[in-house]
Amino acid sequence: MSLNLSLYTISSVLILDNEGKRLFAKYYKPTLPETNNTFSSSQFDTKEKQLKFESTLFSKINKINQDILIFENNLICYKQVNDIIIIFISPLSENESLVYSTLSNFNEALLILFDNSIDKLTLLEKYDLLCLCLDEIIDDGIIIEYDPATIVSRVTKPHSNQIDVNNLRNIDISEKGLFNALSFASKKLGERLQQGL
Amino acid sequence: MSTQSYKKQDAYSLSSSPDKMAVFQECLQQFNATPVNAKKCRQLLAKLLRLLYNGESFPSQESTTLFFSISKLFQHKDQSLRQIVYLTIKELSQTSDDILMVTSSIMKDIQGNDAVYKPNAIRTLSKVLDPTTVTAAERLFKNLIVDKNPIISSAALISSYNLLPHAKDIVKRFSNEVLESIQSFKQFNSHQFELHEYYGSATSNLPSTSYMYQYHALGLIYQLRNHDKMALMKLITSLSEGVLKNSLSIIQLIRFINKLLIDDNSLQLLPIIINFLKHKSDMVELEACKTLINLQNLLTDEQEMMVIGTLQKLLSVPRTATRFAAIRLINKISIKHPEKIMVCNLELENLINDSNKSISTIAITTLLKTSGTGSIETTGEGVDRLITKMTSLMEDISDDFKMVIIEAIENLALRYPTKVKKLVGFLTDLLRDDGSLELKSTIVDALFDLIKFLSDDSSKQLILMNLCEFIEDCEFTELSVRILHLLGDQGPTTSNVSYYIRHIYNRLVLENSIIRSSAVISLAKFAAVCGGIVSKNIIILLSRCLNDVDDEVRDRAAISLNFINHHKKNLIVNDSKYDLAVLENKLINYLNEEKFENEFDINEVPIISNEEIKSLEYNQKINKTEVEEVKEEEPEVNKAQDLLKQQEYAQELSMIFSFGTLTKSSSVTYLTDKENEIVVSVVKHLFTDAKKLVLQFNIQNTLTTTKLENISVIVQPDNEGYQEESIIPLEELKPNQTGVSYVVFNFDETDIIAGFGNTLNYINKDVDEEGNADPNDDGWSDEYQIDDFEVLGGDFITGLYGNFEQIFEKIENSSTTAKVISGSSLEEVIEKIKNQLNMSFMDGSEFVSKDSNSHVLKLLGKDVYGGKIATLIKLAFTGGKIVGKIEVKTETKVFGQVVLDSIF
Repeated sequence: MSLNLSLYTISSVLILDNEGKRLFAKYYKPTLPETNNTFSSSQFDTKEKQLKFESTLFSKINKINQDILIFENNLICYKQVNDIIIIFISPLSENESLVYSTLSNFNEALLILFDNSIDKLTLLEKYDLLCLCLDEIIDDGIIIEYDPATIVSRVTKPHSNQIDVNNLRNIDISEKGLFNALSFASKKLGERLQQGL
Repeated sequence: MSTQSYKKQDAYSLSSSPDKMAVFQECLQQFNATPVNAKKCRQLLAKLLRLLYNGESFPSQESTTLFFSISKLFQHKDQSLRQIVYLTIKELSQTSDDILMVTSSIMKDIQGNDAVYKPNAIRTLSKVLDPTTVTAAERLFKNLIVDKNPIISSAALISSYNLLPHAKDIVKRFSNEVLESIQSFKQFNSHQFELHEYYGSATSNLPSTSYMYQYHALGLIYQLRNHDKMALMKLITSLSEGVLKNSLSIIQLIRFINKLLIDDNSLQLLPIIINFLKHKSDMVELEACKTLINLQNLLTDEQEMMVIGTLQKLLSVPRTATRFAAIRLINKISIKHPEKIMVCNLELENLINDSNKSISTIAITTLLKTSGTGSIETTGEGVDRLITKMTSLMEDISDDFKMVIIEAIENLALRYPTKVKKLVGFLTDLLRDDGSLELKSTIVDALFDLIKFLSDDSSKQLILMNLCEFIEDCEFTELSVRILHLLGDQGPTTSNVSYYIRHIYNRLVLENSIIRSSAVISLAKFAAVCGGIVSKNIIILLSRCLNDVDDEVRDRAAISLNFINHHKKNLIVNDSKYDLAVLENKLINYLNEEKFENEFDINEVPIISNEEIKSLEYNQKINKTEVEEVKEEEPEVNKAQDLLKQQEYAQELSMIFSFGTLTKSSSVTYLTDKENEIVVSVVKHLFTDAKKLVLQFNIQNTLTTTKLENISVIVQPDNEGYQEESIIPLEELKPNQTGVSYVVFNFDETDIIAGFGNTLNYINKDVDEEGNADPNDDGWSDEYQIDDFEVLGGDFITGLYGNFEQIFEKIENSSTTAKVISGSSLEEVIEKIKNQLNMSFMDGSEFVSKDSNSHVLKLLGKDVYGGKIATLIKLAFTGGKIVGKIEVKTETKVFGQVVLDSIF
């Protein structure tokens, strides 16, 4: 059994929707040459192969909550949350518990970032957060950070949520929904009332 | 309201991927606008990333244009924009050309102090640097690695790690800083965080550090130091005492120790791993168990029990992944030492109903193995209970898992013939349930194998009768055909022939033409073998088929009738067949040579008798089931490939020598370490007709700057029966080449056992990088001592499968002796005898239970002259020694002594 002595741990991260279509797919290519053979890179080197792998994998894991299994000589850890499946794939000899923890910490980080609602729609709406979050967890297959709170704190906020009170003119009202307007109004109102007291 | 924001609320437009060209155009437009709208750009970049992560890619030119316009965003100071810009640059850097132009912007960001995106910038830097520019960043990297902020330090370490293939020399200069990093304590710097009060309290109480930088530093230092074993060892010892706080880094440490232990038993490191068996993190415990199981030969019994104890604990943790890993490891132990994990039986039984079906399947297969090893009474109970549990489980697991279980059951039945009836009952029940063709063929395969390899007639009949019932309503034509074929082969030798004939005849009446035609052949076999009244009755049955509507059935009936009437038994039933692998090989050669005026000589292809086929298949079966489960280990040499290999050897040797046909070639034995400068291995070829032994030395020169010339192996036998006839030296061996040298011996049939001492003789010459030696250099001659090897009985024997008792009774010529056999455990001795004699173990006698002090081995083999050999060895472990009472019966007279002498 060849143990992985390099830092490369995760060979790919997939997020599929409830029909098996990919929402996010990243196949990491380790840069150190000697690790290439433990990473079955040829298995995923073309998009066609990747898609085929994804569809067969999806049919195997959809709606079956097993968390972990071995598939085509890969260690697959996955989590089905609402209408999406998050999948981490790593070489067979990898530490199962390690990969799975990374996956569940990623899930937890997303929960915080997406305000407790991980579903397809939120995911696509806040795709920037998703990308940045994953980039803080894994770089080229190397696990960077592990603690969900630390990960989340590394992801910058998107703009639309910054409400500059002193600079009302700059708010682009057309980009806000009714709810935002309401919440902004109530916040403002609260402040005024407090000042009044 | 812009159209864009309108779209954003539309769920359906979101779920389909955005249009590639539209995004491209919009990107160019927005990024070049002044002033840059940070919010819009971030959304746009997210869209772009989504395209990339969907597998779209931009052609090089467009990608470069995109890259260029993105670099304009560096003007904008916004943090949230800058972070995603870095990610995009990283993703695009693989396809764009002019990536170097952003280097200075990135460097500027890195030198700045307090930005959230600084680590992102550092990680992106490694993507845009090329070997020439790394030097410029050297100073910068050193500072970053020792930075007090763990995130920055981690980013710098990962970045250097990614630079390794391009600029290893420069990264090597960081090693002091990296070492310092491992040892130091780094704390998060609060103002470098984006504090998300908006996300709730989750981020307001951050841990002070997660020590991830230790993991990254350790990974990097290994890459820099892995050639210097002493330094590595020092590092490991210094780190083993609580310096490492991070679970991932401890896992990494365990792997390094494992590597050292495998390479050169640095046993003093073993206790470090053992200490990690008790750790607060289950992933560390798991890694320690994993490693130790692979190092089983180095462990004491007590240590081994500690490993199993830890695994036992891990079996009942709530986290699925950990349970899964633990049970896989337990299953791995169970292959070789099922008795050791009996302590976990309770946990295993609880896991049968686990929600993860892979876990429950492995639990069952493992239990099947452990329950087979206990004493007879408890085993019976255990198997009963298991089978009831499994029957309830079988309904709700998928076919894939069923197949795994079926194979495990088959294996169990093969090893413990006493349990066959129960297991067959289970299998046939399963066969009657609904299932796919794949599942049913697995069951039928399992039953077929059981019939082939079980000596017990009653269980054989049980299976055959069950199969008969199965084909009564079998919906799969191919399965029916296979079963009919098997009935034809096995049925005639059983006691209730008429039962089978009735069932087969039913097929002849009721089924489609394909099944009918195979039923005809099957009946013909009954007629041919049984003869007498059966034959007459079948002739009547078959004559009716002459009027069948299908011509294939008619043809087969006619030809069968003809054979039966003329008593051509061997045309219907065959007891040997051509070796198909060799036949294929020969035919390909024949076609390639294109000399069609010469007829293809079928006699060159060896004929294998049914007995030999059986023993080959049996070995394959036993090996296969083990290899599959221990996939990570080196695959065992396949027997069928052996035959092919032999054929290749024969061809090679016939070009050099003219000794007639090659009788037998041994497997490859290494006489040096595989990492040596010169790697030597030997293959022993035997020509019994010419009484010659040809030793083939494969010599590999792994040196890169030295050429070897005039290489020969000096072989000294310690038996005078061996007379050296000739040596064929190897003229020259360039760096990284492999060559062959031969030594030929005459030998005396009566006294064949010998040891050989070997020395390698050669002339050394230095060569330059192109591989040219200096013509004036005469080189210097050198000698090199390589390991000894022996020629033993095993080199003259091949394994055979058969009924041991029968063969043992039949042979008369017997010789007996008792002697002390060196070795520390029964297992070790059995493994040794296996290599010494090269015979097949019968009745599962190669498996010995751990705590027993005696064991009986039953071995069958065939010598090179075609005589059968049966050996009964009674081993006893007394007073620290292993004593064996050996009884050998051989058809070839001189071989008795040879076998006795081969065991020591």
